[in-house]
Amino acid sequence: MRFSLILSQLGQGMGRTVTIFLLTLIFSLPLGLLVAFGRMSKNRIISRLTKIYISIMRGTPLMLQLMVVYFGPFYLFGLNIGNWRFPAIIVGFSLNYAAYFAEIYRSGIESMPVGQYEAARLLGYSKMQTFFRIILPQVIKRILPAVTNEIITLVKDTSLAFSIAYAEMFTIAKQIAAAQTTMIPFVAAAVFYYVFNVLVAWIMERIEKKFAYYR
Amino acid sequence: MKKKLICGMMTAAMTAVLLAGCGNDASGTSASSGASAASDTTVSESASDVSASSETVGDSAEPVTFTVGFDAEYPPYGYMDEDTGEYTGFDLELAEAVCDLYGWQLVKTPINWDSKDMELNSGSIDCIWNGFTINGREDDYTWSDPYVDNSQVMVVSESSGINTLSDLAGKNVGVQAASAALELLQSEEEGGQKALADTFAVLQQFPDYNNAFVELQAGSIDAVAMDIGVAKYQLKTRGEGFKILDESLNSEQYAIGFKKGNTELCEKVNEGLQQLLADGTFEELAEKYEIADMVCLEAK
Amino acid sequence: MIYLEMNHVKKNFDDLEVLKDISLTVEEGEVVSIIGPSGSGKSTLLRCATLLETMDCGDLSYLGKKAVTMENGHSVYEKPAVLGKIRENFGLVFQNYNLFPHYNVMRNLCDAPIHVQKRQRDEVEQQAKELLYKMGLTGKEKAYPCQLSGGQCQRVAIARALMLNPKVLFFDEPTSALDPELTGEVLKVIRSLAEMHMTMVIVTHEMAFAREISDRILFMDQGVVVVEGTPKEVFSSENNRMKGFLGKFRDK
Repeated sequence: MRFSLILSQLGQGMGRTVTIFLLTLIFSLPLGLLVAFGRMSKNRIISRLTKIYISIMRGTPLMLQLMVVYFGPFYLFGLNIGNWRFPAIIVGFSLNYAAYFAEIYRSGIESMPVGQYEAARLLGYSKMQTFFRIILPQVIKRILPAVTNEIITLVKDTSLAFSIAYAEMFTIAKQIAAAQTTMIPFVAAAVFYYVFNVLVAWIMERIEKKFAYYR
Repeated sequence: MKKKLICGMMTAAMTAVLLAGCGNDASGTSASSGASAASDTTVSESASDVSASSETVGDSAEPVTFTVGFDAEYPPYGYMDEDTGEYTGFDLELAEAVCDLYGWQLVKTPINWDSKDMELNSGSIDCIWNGFTINGREDDYTWSDPYVDNSQVMVVSESSGINTLSDLAGKNVGVQAASAALELLQSEEEGGQKALADTFAVLQQFPDYNNAFVELQAGSIDAVAMDIGVAKYQLKTRGEGFKILDESLNSEQYAIGFKKGNTELCEKVNEGLQQLLADGTFEELAEKYEIADMVCLEAK
Repeated sequence: MIYLEMNHVKKNFDDLEVLKDISLTVEEGEVVSIIGPSGSGKSTLLRCATLLETMDCGDLSYLGKKAVTMENGHSVYEKPAVLGKIRENFGLVFQNYNLFPHYNVMRNLCDAPIHVQKRQRDEVEQQAKELLYKMGLTGKEKAYPCQLSGGQCQRVAIARALMLNPKVLFFDEPTSALDPELTGEVLKVIRSLAEMHMTMVIVTHEMAFAREISDRILFMDQGVVVVEGTPKEVFSSENNRMKGFLGKFRDK
């Protein structure tokens, strides 16, 4: 098989990989903030529950979580899970990454000096205004390096989608490799992941620079 | 207390899902019957989402789907075609032919081989049709008529000097994880080859044959156990340098695996295979994929 | 008119009694300084007055409006909405400025008036420019706090507090974080505010400064007001603790 042909077939899988990646980010970044609020909540039941949630999401393999999300509705409730495969992947990935992002948000929020809250309170800002106008912009600057780490891991984690038989890029690479008894698809896959991550790192660096105007 | 309780519940839920997935035990079966009832309701509501496992097969005006689960890294039975990028292979073309007979729409779902039972029991796929060995799994699935006679063989490097199974004593042997060959080499029952495997230095499991052949080539392992059909395909595409030992590990058969108890769909497919045998399609496909000397489907 | 009145304020941190029955009344236009050694409770008193810290006992009101009342020997706070309204009466200048580092000087000044008080942007920016001119910060509108010296930061912080037109302005050791050569510029600003009869409560270690601008001085030690009076009365007090405290300052 010609190299260009391998690429065109991998291209389909790359589309799926990028889709998983983008949708996971779109859902898990805001969800993570919500989880972080739950974790820091003064309501002890909420904070305990989110703590357990985070501990399970971080303490068990993502592959297993995907299987639970996908097969769970059938085995627990006897539901038909016919068209649930792709949504299950997005749900599984988002729930998992939200837990990691939540802890990153929490570390950022808790590192904010209390004086910023006090100054905002004296100036009459409401709690919402204080968070979104004063605290969050500064938190984002602080957590960007940690978030970049997590996003790069996500790029590589997308290959776990095959644990519930979703053929993303790496799975297709394996299939081509098996059919053609060649290692070229793996090389192409490696190059794809690397280029993707270089791009991610470059974008994140640009964002960090945007926040570099103050200390 | 609360925390412990919730922790316990979550753990129990996860364990239940995984256990149920591994087994065809009582709980698994009862859960499946619940699901087929559920899927039947779906059928009456929306015809587009019909599963072939339901009773409406062939009766519905809308195209009925027939979802085949297969390992896309298992040539020549199921793999990705080098020119089109489509999934193809002897088994998939055979499935396509059966679907054509009944006007079903074939859905080819490459599955993670390790979770094939969960896929089948949960109804995500209608059958496993992919060089699926009956022997050792007789009671776990509802099986179609066997259509390929397959044996497990050892592939070695030509220059290795290994000629018989007894030469493998003290050698490193590779095998695909969760494969029939592995089961055979771990089986202590009648016809099992555990005694042979015990003479190996190491029995190394691989996720796929590509890995195994690279290691064989590199000399880090001395032999790889696999189905004869796979072995022939691998030797053909890889060219010189490998050979299949004359002594085989056993003799076994391939058939299509349906969820235990789904005899209706199984019979339908059996009938279809008979028709394809009668009109010569079956033989034609066997020759196309160079496994004509292995097929064993008998006319009824 | 009485702008600030707090009576019998008590505050404990766990077992430590920080404030033991303190009362403070500030009249319109009055400048009151609170002095005393570290740990005397003067900053805590200021934080209770500005509602940053909750007191255990005592009451508090601004311009006759009750923020905290005494019921059965305990302080009871008004509803958040009422407290929010009362907060509009005062501003606070922190020891370490607490400017918003991600906003430039102009935005530090204008953000709250525009988004909290919902005032017109033009009018707010006009006021900000005038204040910056008075603070000697013209030309720094676009600078970020990290680009300013400590003295400049503190002057921005004062301007930010003044933007909301408070009735009472509190200072919590406004020059303690500054290098000695920078304290002068901040004190000068506070002095000019005193000349304009701004009502102010200042916690400070600058003895000479307190003596110069205050109408009244409170000397606190170990959670109580030991001496209270005009600067002249306080600095000539025969109280031993007061004399000891001033002695330490002279030694420095």
